[in-house]
Amino acid sequence: MKATKIFDKGHQWIMFGRDPEKPENIIDTNQYMIVAGDRALLMDPGGIEVFAPMLGAILHHVKVDEITDIFASHQDPDIISSLGLWDQALPHAKLHSPWLWEGFLRHFGMNNIQYAAIPDEGSELTLGELDIRFIPAHYLHSSGNFHVYDPKAKILMSGDVGAALEACEAPLYVEDFDEHIPKMEMFHKRWMPSNRAKNDWVNRVRDLDIEYMAPQHGRIFKGENVKRFLDWFEALEVGVAIP
Amino acid sequence: MTSSAEPVEDKLVALASIAAELHSVMGVVWNVSLAGKNAKVISAQAGDKGRGFRPITESIDEISQQAIRGVDEISSEALRLSKISVHEQRSIDAYQRFNSVVKKDADAKYIKTISPAVKKVEDKMRTSMSEFKKSMNHLTLLLETMDQCMLSARAVASVSRIVTSSGQEYRDKLTVVSNDLDKAASYIKQRLSNSYRHLNNVNALRQKGI
Ligand SMILES: [Fe+2]
Ligand SMILES: [Fe+2]
Repeated sequence: MKATKIFDKGHQWIMFGRDPEKPENIIDTNQYMIVAGDRALLMDPGGIEVFAPMLGAILHHVKVDEITDIFASHQDPDIISSLGLWDQALPHAKLHSPWLWEGFLRHFGMNNIQYAAIPDEGSELTLGELDIRFIPAHYLHSSGNFHVYDPKAKILMSGDVGAALEACEAPLYVEDFDEHIPKMEMFHKRWMPSNRAKNDWVNRVRDLDIEYMAPQHGRIFKGENVKRFLDWFEALEVGVAIP
Repeated sequence: MTSSAEPVEDKLVALASIAAELHSVMGVVWNVSLAGKNAKVISAQAGDKGRGFRPITESIDEISQQAIRGVDEISSEALRLSKISVHEQRSIDAYQRFNSVVKKDADAKYIKTISPAVKKVEDKMRTSMSEFKKSMNHLTLLLETMDQCMLSARAVASVSRIVTSSGQEYRDKLTVVSNDLDKAASYIKQRLSNSYRHLNNVNALRQKGI
């Protein structure tokens, strides 16, 4: 599992992914961690298969009991099916996730971790000196769904929004936006169910100052490419897979 | 329902198969119980004439009570074993994943901080493994006891056929009851032996570490 610091000024953002040992038939995922002082937030920690490489990679950066918080943007297996294992690794941690999914997520096995339900309108979390926000992203694609915004680092962790399906050795950042479109188009058309929800999200996110948009699959959008993505996504017709 | 257990069957499937075998036994055990009740009625109707076969009707009744209790116990232990097995499987899987971190990332700066969690996961695995073993032994014992019980049932059935008594009419009735009992007992014995086979497969798979 490769770990890359994508931000390191006072606090850090580390991206984990591009795992060369990942089983071939599971979708490649990006996991993220914010380290602020002696606390760390693990975001969309991934499926059961990536648990061991993730834990190993994390222990190069923080002590296990410094991971005080976990965030799961929604309920998907590639996001959080590792929960039953994290529950044993981080028994004192809190899981921040949509209130809607609590009863479902507990099926992954949660005996120790505390469920911190995020209300529909979103909420905030303070990690040491850092305040981060859970931004609503309902129906993108899950009916209860949030993204993480860090106003200091100007990073939006955008879950499945901005996802691209590509090889595990793909570069970390989008270089040529137009070239990147074909890798995202089918995913967004098929997985995002509602134009209304999508446009509502685009409007909300346009109000944020974003330097990096970091999705759970594919590459990170930087600077101008964030704006390009928002324009492209706004114009895209989604939820149209009915034959 | 499958009555033959392939040696390659999955551990959890093997355990579920035991529960299925026992489920089919349940109905038949009620036939044994009915045989016991009928035997008692025959004995009561025969009055003095039935004195010769009273010990036999009493045995049939006793065996039927024992069989009902036995199947009940075996069913709940088999269910318990299935549940324990799922826990065991999960705890072994967790241990292997934690252990792979300890081995592969031995050079990680904070690797030692995971040790308490690994220890807990290992303890949990050992506890569930020993619970599994205990439940497995208990189930084996219950199956053996039940097998003995069915053996006695068949013996009583065959003795009742040759018992001499002055009441021919009651003897015929008793023969019908004995035949029912014999049929039920031999069916149950077959199911028990299938359950054994599944249990042996579970054991073999465990020894192979699957
Ligand atoms: Fe998803
Ligand atoms: Fe995803």
